[in-house]
Amino acid sequence: MALRVPVNLRKNLSVVLYAFQALSFGAVIIGLTSLLLLPLDEYSRRTYISENALLPGQVHAYFGGSEQNIVRAFRHEVAALANSTSDVVADRMAEIFRSAGLKVGQQKYSYKAAGGEYTGENVYAVLHAPRGDATEAIVLCAPWKNIDHLLNEGGVALTLALSRYFKRWSLWSKDIIFLISADARAGPQAWVDAYHDLHGPSVQSLSVKSGAIQGVVVVDHPGAYHRFDSLHIIYDGVNGQLPNLDLINTAVQISKDQMQLRTDLQEMWNHADTYRHRLKTMLRGMVNQALGHSTGPHSSFIPYHIDAITLATHGEGWHDEMSLGRTVESVFRSLNNLLEHFHQSFFFYLLMAPKRFVSIGTYLPSAMLLAVGLTLTAIRLWVDPRSRSGADESKHAVGEVQAGGEKSEGKQSEQGGPKQPTAPAIDSGPKRELFLPLSVVIGMHFCGVIPFAVFNTLDYKSMANVFYIFMAVSFVLPILLATLITLTTPPRRLLQTFHLTRCFSLLFLGMFLSTLATLNFSLSFLIGLFSLPLTVARATPKSIPVSLLSSILLQLASPFAALFAVAGYWGLGVEDILREASFGWWVWGMWTPVIVWCVWWPAWVVARVSVDASFVMAVTGKTGVA
Amino acid sequence: MNNKLKGPKTAVTEKAVPEFESGMDRKCLLAIGTGILLRLIFFTAFPSLPTTLAQRVEISTPVTSYKRLQEGIYLYTHGVSPYDGGVFHQAPLLLSLFTILPSSTTITNLLYILADLLSAISLVQIAASGVPATTPHHVSPRKANTWPPWAIAAAFLFNPFSIATCIARPTIVFTNCIVLHAIASAVQGRRAPAFISLAMASYLSLYPVLLFPPLLLLTYDSSKSPSRPSIQTFAIVTTVLFTTVLLTYLKLSHILTGSWEFVASTYGVHLLLPDLTPNVGLWWYFFIEMFDSFRAFFLCLFQLHLLIYVPGICLRLRKQPLFALITLVGISSIFKSYPAIGDTTLYLSLLALYNHTFPPMRYTFFLAAALLYASFLGPAFYYLWVYAGSGNANFFYAITLVWSIVNALIVADALYAVLRDEHETERPELIGKDVVQI
Repeated sequence: MALRVPVNLRKNLSVVLYAFQALSFGAVIIGLTSLLLLPLDEYSRRTYISENALLPGQVHAYFGGSEQNIVRAFRHEVAALANSTSDVVADRMAEIFRSAGLKVGQQKYSYKAAGGEYTGENVYAVLHAPRGDATEAIVLCAPWKNIDHLLNEGGVALTLALSRYFKRWSLWSKDIIFLISADARAGPQAWVDAYHDLHGPSVQSLSVKSGAIQGVVVVDHPGAYHRFDSLHIIYDGVNGQLPNLDLINTAVQISKDQMQLRTDLQEMWNHADTYRHRLKTMLRGMVNQALGHSTGPHSSFIPYHIDAITLATHGEGWHDEMSLGRTVESVFRSLNNLLEHFHQSFFFYLLMAPKRFVSIGTYLPSAMLLAVGLTLTAIRLWVDPRSRSGADESKHAVGEVQAGGEKSEGKQSEQGGPKQPTAPAIDSGPKRELFLPLSVVIGMHFCGVIPFAVFNTLDYKSMANVFYIFMAVSFVLPILLATLITLTTPPRRLLQTFHLTRCFSLLFLGMFLSTLATLNFSLSFLIGLFSLPLTVARATPKSIPVSLLSSILLQLASPFAALFAVAGYWGLGVEDILREASFGWWVWGMWTPVIVWCVWWPAWVVARVSVDASFVMAVTGKTGVA
Repeated sequence: MNNKLKGPKTAVTEKAVPEFESGMDRKCLLAIGTGILLRLIFFTAFPSLPTTLAQRVEISTPVTSYKRLQEGIYLYTHGVSPYDGGVFHQAPLLLSLFTILPSSTTITNLLYILADLLSAISLVQIAASGVPATTPHHVSPRKANTWPPWAIAAAFLFNPFSIATCIARPTIVFTNCIVLHAIASAVQGRRAPAFISLAMASYLSLYPVLLFPPLLLLTYDSSKSPSRPSIQTFAIVTTVLFTTVLLTYLKLSHILTGSWEFVASTYGVHLLLPDLTPNVGLWWYFFIEMFDSFRAFFLCLFQLHLLIYVPGICLRLRKQPLFALITLVGISSIFKSYPAIGDTTLYLSLLALYNHTFPPMRYTFFLAAALLYASFLGPAFYYLWVYAGSGNANFFYAITLVWSIVNALIVADALYAVLRDEHETERPELIGKDVVQI
């Protein structure tokens, strides 16, 4: 297959190759730098309310005065049930809701994941809107145990008090659902699945329902009576999806401007709005987004295109639960104003301070450039004459190409001459052997299903052991593959085979990552970052130190290293991360493990094959030159 | 892509040729058997897969959707005209075929697998005839590099697009099968089966009627009878035959449904585009945005646009009518009113027949990569638009544009390669030289 580039460039192929190399290198550098530039004032923007109907903080919040006594009374109720089982709690909560004159439903659920069973009972009440037609609803949710497994005493008490308080108002145009989920991870998922009739057999259906849910606010105020300092707004959804920015802006504006409550994002408690703090907030957000796990009860709602946030209290200060209650009331009044589903503002953004963000148009190029860098490398490898012939021929080819086209053409006809004496030489130039490289690459991507299936069916107890065994297998597998290919391929085509294997692997990785960048930007970016060594890892049988270096580099940038890094980041064991992944897959429908095992791991193994081939070739003496 | 063959090994390939003439060899049977087995596995191991795929807009269009077919069958068997309500847009004979069959999913699935099996056999026959490389007017200098028939069958049967199309069960599968059968009959010079099939394909989904002129030339070139009439006589007789058969199908449909209502609901929909469900084509977005006063004008323009390629391509590729036909299949798979990946599959499978002419193609790697990118980004953007709600229609439309551009470039590049091949036959001294357009 003759090279098809514009005429003048074909004669100067090395220029094209260098240009591609420079381009892919440049793409990566620009991609990385542009991400680091984002926190600057010139690139990020101040947030603003896009949906005018919301009118945040324009109403007076009346929750106060004697309501405080009611909240305190409910606190005692909740505290008394601290050690009760989930069904006892649900029955008592249902009783309280009923006494307030609301319709009540209860729901039992049970999930199995990683050998464990997660059961509980949700309880919820529906307040029918005096001015609505039950076609729309907003949800106030309080998990009985919050994400850190602490009793959410303040949150539940506040929800109970607000259910009585909201009942007295005649201004609601949307139904309000008060949900007390048994926990913060599985409970909300069971409830929202059942609300949309998409639940499995182990989850009960809901007896009472309302209209389409427009927004969800979760209150998380754990512990015994105390005053708090700031409001932590948690917004990451499952699979890195985010709620509409307008909802976060509304909450921030109400707490800041109306309640004089400080707001925090991504556990940045002392945000001084400096470059470093902004960058750190953004990176923490990206890590949460990339992991795709649930960061609170709100996360489960977001895949259903329901905008949801968690308002968690933090620190010791002078605000009491009445401030939280008034904030919730004001947010609900804004949600009540919504004329249509949240759509005005951004769904793709990175927040770097409560009032500063970048939107998709500004940040997407950086992830795309990483993916483009991989694709450009793949194109360069394809154009490279080494992809088309044995090593010895390639040397000539490169030499000729550099020397000029005339000579090369002469050589081609010479080569074709003896083979086909009568007819002129057609397509007799060096060819690419595609079958083996393509099957290795595609086969490895399909093999990714194996670790994925194994880690999703395993018991928690055996996880660590199996993980270490699998790590050992992943270490040996590329060496085996490299040996197999080296022994079965004629030496003339050996380097070409590894060259094309790299080319296809990088092409597929680039394609997967650019697709992923549109769905989960952060995951795509982080995998792209870890995959950078893949672009330089190649078979270099003549210089073993280089191979050794790239082998170490690859080992450091492996999915396993990333897993250990994540485990270290949270101070957990790898088996805990794997359990979380398995739980995420079975309960939340979290796709991160699929991406890691079926996209990243195969690409990494194929890169290792190329590098290990250098050692194998050196040992067997088949250096790819016949 | 023909890199499995290491250079022109003339002696070996020539020996193999007589074996190909017989069509089916053991490798063919193996390829077809594996392809069938693969489809059976998909149908049995993933029982929810057909329903999931049938809902993909990339695979099912309003005029081919299996879901709508079921709706039509239900209405038909319950004595209601299936064409009431504007949901069902498929041909009445298809309806009667499915009403005769026992209403079992297994049998329906087997019918679709059978259609793919017949398509593969037709492709083997076309490849075995040698027409892609040798016509009465042209013998390709790359003749020795053609793929063996089993590879052509495998390229069709293992194409992920064709597997997905078979599993999702749109009725385009039958149209494709019949078009392939028409071509297989044509390359063997059997006129009656070729044009009865083409009439059926046109009856089922209208656009195959564009293939009439190249198929006519192909049949004429391939007919081996000693007393061959002149091309004018041949054309007139064939046109009469084709029209008669087509009218018979229409009359049969009239008798079956009891009214002519079906004409407006099937061909009317192809022509007037009342259903703007998104698909991989270029029409839906354009006509959503269009002001009503311009609609009729642009409908005519879009339909005429498909028509204008026919004479030009038939004239320019007179020496290779099969390739003219394939190019028209490719063009209509891009520009027809309700295209799906099933149409692209048909084109790509037929293009594999011309594998020997690929070396002069200029953008193979780029096009293959772009096709891959588009097929991954398409579903992602559709998801963002329809499910996640965070994207909008422009996302998906942008990708359908990319998809169409890639397909158009494949058509153009393959055309370039074949013309270059023809040119090199005439001027062997120019082989390997660069060609510059002035």
